[in-house]
Amino acid sequence: MSEITLIIDGKECKGVSGDTILEVALKSDVYIPTLCYLEGLSPMGSCRMCVVEVEGSNKLLTSCTTPAQDGMKVHTKTEKLYNYRKQILELLFAGRNHFCMFCSQSGDCELQTLAIEHGMDSVRYPFLYHDFDNDATSEHLQMDHNRCILCGRCIRVCAEKVGAHTLDYEKRGWNTKVISDIGAMLGDSNTCVNCGACAQVCPTGTITIREFVYRGRRNDCDEVVESICPLCSMGCKIKGYVRTGSLARVEGLNVTGPDGGQLCHKGRWWLPESTERKRLSVPMIREGTTFREASWEEALELAAGKMKEAHSKGHAGAIISGMSTDEELTLYSDVFRNSINMKYIDCFNGDVLRGFRKGFKPFIEQEVRPFTGAHNILESDLVLVIGADPQEEAPVTASYVRVNTVRNGGALVNLSSDKNPFGDIVDLDARISKEDLQKCIKNLVEAVSKGDTDKAGTGKMEELARMLLQASKPVMIIGGNVAKDPVVVTQVVNLAIASEGFFDDGLGVVPMVRSGNSLAALNTIVGDEPWVNEADIDCLFVSSTGLVPETPESLEAMSMSRFCVVQTPYMVHPLINMADVLLPAPAWYEKSGHFCTIEGERRTLRVIVPPKTELKGLSEVLSVITDKMGITLNSSDVRPCENIFQSKVSPDKARMAVLEEV
Amino acid sequence: MDEDNCMVDVAKFFLEFTQRESCGKCTPCREGTKQMLLLLNKISEGEGTMEDLQTLEDLANMVKEMSLCGLGQTAPNPVLTTLRYFRDEYEAHIREKKCYAGACTKLLTYMIDPDKCKRCGICAKNCPVKCISGDRETPYFIDQETCIKCGTCYEKCPFGAISKE
Repeated sequence: MSEITLIIDGKECKGVSGDTILEVALKSDVYIPTLCYLEGLSPMGSCRMCVVEVEGSNKLLTSCTTPAQDGMKVHTKTEKLYNYRKQILELLFAGRNHFCMFCSQSGDCELQTLAIEHGMDSVRYPFLYHDFDNDATSEHLQMDHNRCILCGRCIRVCAEKVGAHTLDYEKRGWNTKVISDIGAMLGDSNTCVNCGACAQVCPTGTITIREFVYRGRRNDCDEVVESICPLCSMGCKIKGYVRTGSLARVEGLNVTGPDGGQLCHKGRWWLPESTERKRLSVPMIREGTTFREASWEEALELAAGKMKEAHSKGHAGAIISGMSTDEELTLYSDVFRNSINMKYIDCFNGDVLRGFRKGFKPFIEQEVRPFTGAHNILESDLVLVIGADPQEEAPVTASYVRVNTVRNGGALVNLSSDKNPFGDIVDLDARISKEDLQKCIKNLVEAVSKGDTDKAGTGKMEELARMLLQASKPVMIIGGNVAKDPVVVTQVVNLAIASEGFFDDGLGVVPMVRSGNSLAALNTIVGDEPWVNEADIDCLFVSSTGLVPETPESLEAMSMSRFCVVQTPYMVHPLINMADVLLPAPAWYEKSGHFCTIEGERRTLRVIVPPKTELKGLSEVLSVITDKMGITLNSSDVRPCENIFQSKVSPDKARMAVLEEV
Repeated sequence: MDEDNCMVDVAKFFLEFTQRESCGKCTPCREGTKQMLLLLNKISEGEGTMEDLQTLEDLANMVKEMSLCGLGQTAPNPVLTTLRYFRDEYEAHIREKKCYAGACTKLLTYMIDPDKCKRCGICAKNCPVKCISGDRETPYFIDQETCIKCGTCYEKCPFGAISKE
């Protein structure tokens, strides 16, 4: 990686060998107009806007594709280039429908911005009115082909980052069009995962998102806040655009990261939708079948009273959302575990988390991180999906799997009791029932550690053992459903060790822990034994973010408990139907805190829009409750994910856990 | 190639091919060759202006220098070279609305010489749009408004009474 120096427009610019001319220019803040180039995607060199003059070459070169060489003298803004670029822009405007006044993207459009920059006040060519269709079949996306400049960004992001490769070109030359699959409309596509990445990268108003159009151009917004999506444990980074106190648009970050700045079908659509639901703004107390408004004083008095009474008989419980921040989880843990010593405390998907916690225990005791950041799937040569449906549990993980399999040539194996979520791209697919799974993994561990494929069984299992022996960096994805059995979890980690799935940050396992901050909940909230439908509860404290439907078990537990205190931001059913006291809570976009993500890092949730009504923060609410219950607060020194994240021992020194024969 | 080849038509012929074969990846070739072809069509139909000629030349130069591959880089060559060496033919198409080679059909006028016409009626019988009128006494006459310049009458006249200009 030797350093090189170029002279661009008379200015000395430094780069490293392997950079393109454009990359060197960007490093030194030299502006070169581009349309088809997007940092993070493979360069195409098709729009011809970034063309530059290089001394010594009689040809004009595209700076986005040409490798920079030491000593090059580059001119980016000569009169000839300015005229040529203007002609290209005029050609684009004349070719299809680029009448800005009728377009929702006007003011936020890269094509328009370039035209203004190049002083394009008229088009010298006749308008050709190429007549394409306007594809409005998709639920959230609209694709007006008449605005398309064929830059190919949507195609590249869908293929290179999302791995679905839904979009590509049809026909050629003048009649080229971007289509889905082999000619389907976007809404009818079998491969589209509805993530909206194409809309995010589209420079014009071709692909637009119905929810966001006309709500505020990016430049018009008052504020752009970087936060994260709390829905699943990937914790994808988002940009929240705020306009007149509302969340106008949600986007991923730029495309350069391994996740390509993509969001998923949940994050992109549900998050903005969640800002429009009916809010719980004041505390409410049940009266028969309805609620009446109450003061905080009265509501907290009632809640604390009931909790105290129930706890004195050992019949108090709490169910806390796994989408709470680290700070909130610590508070809940301090109060319910350490101070009140409540036995019945759990998360909404407690079964899944319990399985992971017990399953990971032998490795945490060795001080090895028993999993790796999900993006390391892209570095793997074999991905083994066990009882998981990543497209549902952590969709961006599914993108990693697709990209790694289709583009990087990695192998993909699916083991499941009922389905193959990845379809045709799988190399090996086997049905293993829940009952047989433990034994099956155990046999694989034996086969791989002894180098004897016969020990795995016959047919597909033998084949899988062979593949594991050959793989140098395998990754195992454990689905939430099968993780309910902690023995399976331990066995899979053993398998990762046996197959030498060692990554810089931990062992080659990606756990589908579901909710946003499940990893932090593992050692703060998750109860040791299941109790939700078995215990006799007099008073149940429930904290829900209201973002996803509660599990049937939790709802049943709520209806069976004699008194229910619910802390939530929204008036969502059936949650509030179960409540006796309702305490309003800040919504996900009104609070800040940290989340422990399966990408292997702690990420920050930030306030995007402050609360509109007076809400009490969690620490205030809990301190009033503990006060009224007459309990002193004991802070614990357990930090939410520390013992899970720390890998004091190098992963390749991990030892397989020995399980007692069941 | 001889005096019966119109250089505008020759340029149009090659450009029709390259425009159809263009892959569509880069903007100059995809959009540029299309617009160039439209300009050439306009000129060969007698609708061109001197400004169009300048636009055509500028466009050709841009497409040649900015295209991604050899197809786009060489597609404008027939246009550029014919403009350089046969500019007078282009200008005749524009200023006089005449194609001296007789190849651009829209600019042709078929006329029956009344002295040579023997009133046999073969031209009228074969005219696909029935724009020729006349009979044994009156000399035959082509209605220029309706004539589609197909040249059938010219081919069929046994006395060479029809001229093509």
